[in-house]
Amino acid sequence: MEQVNPIVEIRDLSVRYPNGVLALEDINVDVNERDLIALIGPNGAGKSTLLKVILGLIKPTSGSVKLFGTQELSKNLKYVGYVPQSAQARDSNMPFSVYETIMLGRTPHAGLFHGFGAQDKQKVEEMLKLFGIYDLKDRKIGQLSGGQSQRVFLAKAVVGEPRLLLLDEPTSGVDTTSKSEFYNVIERLNKERGITVIISSHDIGVITKIVNRVLCINRTQFFCGENTDFSASIEIPKMYNHAVELMKHDDHP
Amino acid sequence: MMITLDLLSLLQAGFIQRAFMISIIIAVLSSVLSIFIVLKKMSLIGDGLAHTAFGGLALGYYLNINALWTAAVTVILSSLGITKAMRSTKVAGDAAIAVFMQLGLAGGIVLISVSRGFGINLESLLFGSVLLVNFDQIIAALITSAITLGIIFLFFKEMVYVIFDETQARAAGIKTWFFDYLISVLAGIVVIVAIPIMGVLLISALLVLPALTSIQLSKSFRQTVILSPIIGLITVISGMFMSIIIDAAPGGTIVLAGLAILGTVFLLKRIQSFFEKSRKTSVN
Repeated sequence: MEQVNPIVEIRDLSVRYPNGVLALEDINVDVNERDLIALIGPNGAGKSTLLKVILGLIKPTSGSVKLFGTQELSKNLKYVGYVPQSAQARDSNMPFSVYETIMLGRTPHAGLFHGFGAQDKQKVEEMLKLFGIYDLKDRKIGQLSGGQSQRVFLAKAVVGEPRLLLLDEPTSGVDTTSKSEFYNVIERLNKERGITVIISSHDIGVITKIVNRVLCINRTQFFCGENTDFSASIEIPKMYNHAVELMKHDDHP
Repeated sequence: MMITLDLLSLLQAGFIQRAFMISIIIAVLSSVLSIFIVLKKMSLIGDGLAHTAFGGLALGYYLNINALWTAAVTVILSSLGITKAMRSTKVAGDAAIAVFMQLGLAGGIVLISVSRGFGINLESLLFGSVLLVNFDQIIAALITSAITLGIIFLFFKEMVYVIFDETQARAAGIKTWFFDYLISVLAGIVVIVAIPIMGVLLISALLVLPALTSIQLSKSFRQTVILSPIIGLITVISGMFMSIIIDAAPGGTIVLAGLAILGTVFLLKRIQSFFEKSRKTSVN
């Protein structure tokens, strides 16, 4: 597919849930090729919602989203890898092996009415080695630790050779060693494979060490720019204070 | 000795052979589909659809037209209706199934009551009978099964992705709404094909038990897909034998056979994990 810049273009985006809650308001973001963006904000700030809007899973109430230059988001989803929040097996008995789980990530590439071919199998093998989970390939996914599960789901997202990777709180519930390994892998995927990454996170201290840009939201947008211009000591309190003020304001209209 | 001879002569009877033939078709078909139904957490849909099938059959008897056709139309429409209601955020999924179930059963029993005298055997309708199967039904079952399994084969990897995780499947560009409807309609087809043997009240067990048992034993989806039809076949064939030997409705004996297999598997797994634990403690 042709080069498009920016690869994600969000203009005046607002999302109101059916229950009337305003989840996002006036978001304006351009994501450029090879960006590694930290999406940060407190719980309930709308981070997951924003990622889902980019995937077309949630429709904007107003404003527009373009993915690879088009508003028809579904057209280009096969170039996007997604790891949802707390990605793991629904229950420990889910009858899927690690190998089969990663293979699911090849589904959009195999084409309708076609089974998985030699190329798909080769890609899965490559991922198993890249993420250091080859020994686990026959393990049931419900029997993995948090860190292992996270690597499997990242492998599933990367096996489709995405140009854009959306990771929703990928390090929640994972121990510190696994976390730093995980961020190393993300950095390598971005630098070596040129994959654009948006990663939502709470680990502000760690994540701002690897990203080149920061997007800071709490329903509305507080900061969007170069990592070098971002100062957590100024932006974060601003974001939280504003949230508190809004809550007070809501209490006494 | 007497029992064996009786059984052998019975097995040569045409109606018993027909019952076995259709049972084997139903076993393979339902056990493959059961994997998708169980993993999609819609185990109750078979029950809902079977009850609407009862209403559909009753409507056919009342109007004095081919009851399997009215049942087929009713079940397919209900499967679409249930899916639409389940997908809506306004109605809870299990409540949607309950409403269709009640409508089917209540409508059916009223229609059957007013059309009494047409010689309807309510018991075999509800619990199945080995006497009801004719050759045309076997052919119809064979054709519908081939089509149903063909559809599953064509959309296999998309259907697998949808039951693995609906949100991730949507994020991968799969039109999950289509597969929600498809799986429901296929469940409806299985219900219609299985009515003569299983009866409307027990049909749903075949859409749940083979997958539930095979999931306990499988380490991968591939193993589940291989094991489920094997368990389905063992269930149905042993249930049919039991039905003939003790002269009971096959719907009941088949479900009891399936439950016995599930129970045995649970028990063996318990024993296995007990021995594994005690081995670990003795090593330590």
